[in-house]
Amino acid sequence: MRRPLACPLAAALTLLLLLASPRLAATEEPVHQHPTAPPPATGATEVGLSEQLGKKLPLDLNFLDENGKIVRLADLIDGPTLILPVYYRCTNVCNFLQGGLAHTLPQVKRTPGSDYRILSISFDETETPELAAKNQRLYLDATGTPFPPAGWRFLTGDLAAIQALTGAAGYRFRRQGADFVHPVASFVVSRDGTIVRYLYGTSFLPKDLTLAFAEAAEGRIGATVRGVVAFCFSYDPQQRTYVFNLLRVAATVVMLTAGSFLAFLLVTGRKKRPSEGA
Amino acid sequence: MNDTIASIEGGRGFWTDSGKSGIGAWIFSTDHKRIGLLYFYSVLAFFLVGVLLGLLLRLELIAPGRTIVGPQTYNALFTLHGVVMIFLFIIPGIPAAFGNMILPLQLGARDVAFPKLNLLSWYLYMVGALLALTSLFTGGGPPDTGWTFYVPFATPTVTNVSLAVFAVFIIGFSSILTGLNFVTTVHRLRASGMTFFRLPLFVWSLYATAWVQILATPILAITLLLIVAERFLGTGLFDASRGGDPLMFQHLFWIYSHPAVYIMVLPAMGVISDIIPVFARKPIFGYKAIAFSSLAIAAVGSLVWGHHMFTSGMSDTAILVFSLLTFLVAIPSAVKVFNWVSTLYKGSISLAPPMLFALTFILLFAIGGLSGLIQGAAATNIHVHDTHFVVGHFHYVMFGGTGFAFFAAMHYWLPKIYGRMYENRPAVIAWGLMFVGFNTLYFTMQVLGMQGMPRRYYDYLPEFATLNLVATLGSWLLAVGLVVMLVNLFRGLFYGPPFPANPWGGATLEWQTTTPPPTENFAVDPVATRGPYDFTGVERT
Repeated sequence: MRRPLACPLAAALTLLLLLASPRLAATEEPVHQHPTAPPPATGATEVGLSEQLGKKLPLDLNFLDENGKIVRLADLIDGPTLILPVYYRCTNVCNFLQGGLAHTLPQVKRTPGSDYRILSISFDETETPELAAKNQRLYLDATGTPFPPAGWRFLTGDLAAIQALTGAAGYRFRRQGADFVHPVASFVVSRDGTIVRYLYGTSFLPKDLTLAFAEAAEGRIGATVRGVVAFCFSYDPQQRTYVFNLLRVAATVVMLTAGSFLAFLLVTGRKKRPSEGA
Repeated sequence: MNDTIASIEGGRGFWTDSGKSGIGAWIFSTDHKRIGLLYFYSVLAFFLVGVLLGLLLRLELIAPGRTIVGPQTYNALFTLHGVVMIFLFIIPGIPAAFGNMILPLQLGARDVAFPKLNLLSWYLYMVGALLALTSLFTGGGPPDTGWTFYVPFATPTVTNVSLAVFAVFIIGFSSILTGLNFVTTVHRLRASGMTFFRLPLFVWSLYATAWVQILATPILAITLLLIVAERFLGTGLFDASRGGDPLMFQHLFWIYSHPAVYIMVLPAMGVISDIIPVFARKPIFGYKAIAFSSLAIAAVGSLVWGHHMFTSGMSDTAILVFSLLTFLVAIPSAVKVFNWVSTLYKGSISLAPPMLFALTFILLFAIGGLSGLIQGAAATNIHVHDTHFVVGHFHYVMFGGTGFAFFAAMHYWLPKIYGRMYENRPAVIAWGLMFVGFNTLYFTMQVLGMQGMPRRYYDYLPEFATLNLVATLGSWLLAVGLVVMLVNLFRGLFYGPPFPANPWGGATLEWQTTTPPPTENFAVDPVATRGPYDFTGVERT
């Protein structure tokens, strides 16, 4: 089990060790719960989240956008996408979640709408596109930048579509009077709907978002800076954040340095002496 | 090569030709031979300290119960014996002392690639060594953890582990810099015509060693820093109650320290590969096989560290893999042994003192190597783990191997460096005493280990008394031999008859210059025109 080591050096050494020891390497696999099919969204007693990393969302689901138009998820998710399961009448954490995101987005050095997009999806089937549109204005304003509306869409839908989506994501919530009991989490999917990463809590770090988007875009972006970034950071499932993979970086740097040193020596070869003449 | 020999007959070479004298001519010198001698005298001094500590350990074990020291002092004694012998003598012994003296000569170079860095390495070594000695008399007293500094004990012990560990950390840098220097020297400063396959095998072994020093030593440095962090900052990295893992320390420690075993023994094998052809008057058998086996030992030897930890609770898979790799590393080692023996076959063998020590190396290293396989096999390892068998085994490899190669190198190269010769007869007598003493001491230890005597205990059960007495007697014989050897050697080096340029008929370049060599080694830069063990036309001069 990788431990939440505060010190990057320590983390590197742990990883070094993990590489070294088959036994430890075997236990390194993040322990995720793999429950059987999540219980139905409403009416279920158990609220929680079972990560479904690597699984695909059903992209043929239809939702309503802010204008009341029917949209297919497959049309909206055409690249790395952050999905926020919320309900718009929520009085506390959903606001914090979306507010936290709005606060962080300007610091994410990627272009919304093309490099990534965000979908707030209401799991309250009684909510309407008007409410969604109001939320969109509110949070786009909250970013404090001219954020393109196409980059952050707010959807509503019927119960079947909602349950299909949240069920596939392992996200379980329960209606309680006018409100909901639900996990505070969001997740990032790649273009084909594969769930790449779950992000927890109401505050976002620009680094975590950027890395999650980079990870979701992997396979398409090739050897770009983002690829390097993804190489240098790995996800710590226990701390639930990205940690700098010092071992991998240091090992690469060391091997490259030693390799280039050897290459330099081999290329330059023997030093000629003045007595040998030229 | 003979055409390029320059003659400075009657001169004292580098000893006098710089015109400088006094201690400044030594401690500020960048001449590789002087730095080599600085290392030589330093490591020899620490070796003698280590020998004294070892004799004290054996004296305590001469009879059951407390003899001369109690348990805490005994713990400190074996820790110091280990730290001094490993880090101050045997790791720098052959590469730093004889590597420095001989490597540029064998390459036909005027000096190493970075002479100032070379001097800095010696200073780092001395600073580390002095700090290690300081740790004995300051703080909570001498460390009592064993030279491996295993956690969890290394964390709570009140003895002066932090300073000792820091000292080893500094010495590590000396080792890294020497490695860097040698690698660059081999690539850049070879004489004209000196292709890689004309390099003497001592150079090949130093080259392989240097890469291990560069790549493995930093891991030791980090591991030791982590102990210091654990002790002062309480990071909990190795503390299971705080989410740490004590086993991680053992992995980190042995990731360096097993390759370090090859840092210790590879140069020794190089010495043997150089001496045997000269005294058998035959080209070495399987030059390339020996050269590449050095690289193979360096590479595979970096992947076998887990065999120190078979009883630590690793998974069976890990044990299986490490055990397999351990057996694999025996292959290149055996390649060397077989090639040395084949070189001797039908040779015109002359049993001069360097050859006697070299032949002893083969025997003792073979015994040590084979007993290593008993521990490399997981099942038998459990029986002998942490017993005197292990102590006997690594003394066979380290002392019987590297130690005897160090003595061989002393008898082979020091007359060249000093320009004076020791007497043959006392050298042979010393060799005989040491050979008998050595085997009496360490073979007995292996038997004791098989019978179940654990290592690192100051006391033992009465049934082990006889063999312990025998072992202690062996240690005395060994010490007497050592004294005879050193007295004879140094009396010869300082007062003996002049040593000619090449009395043994060596074909490598160090024998093609005057005795002692001048400051920049050769009056005219030499040109290599043939292999290092091609004795055709080489005359004893």
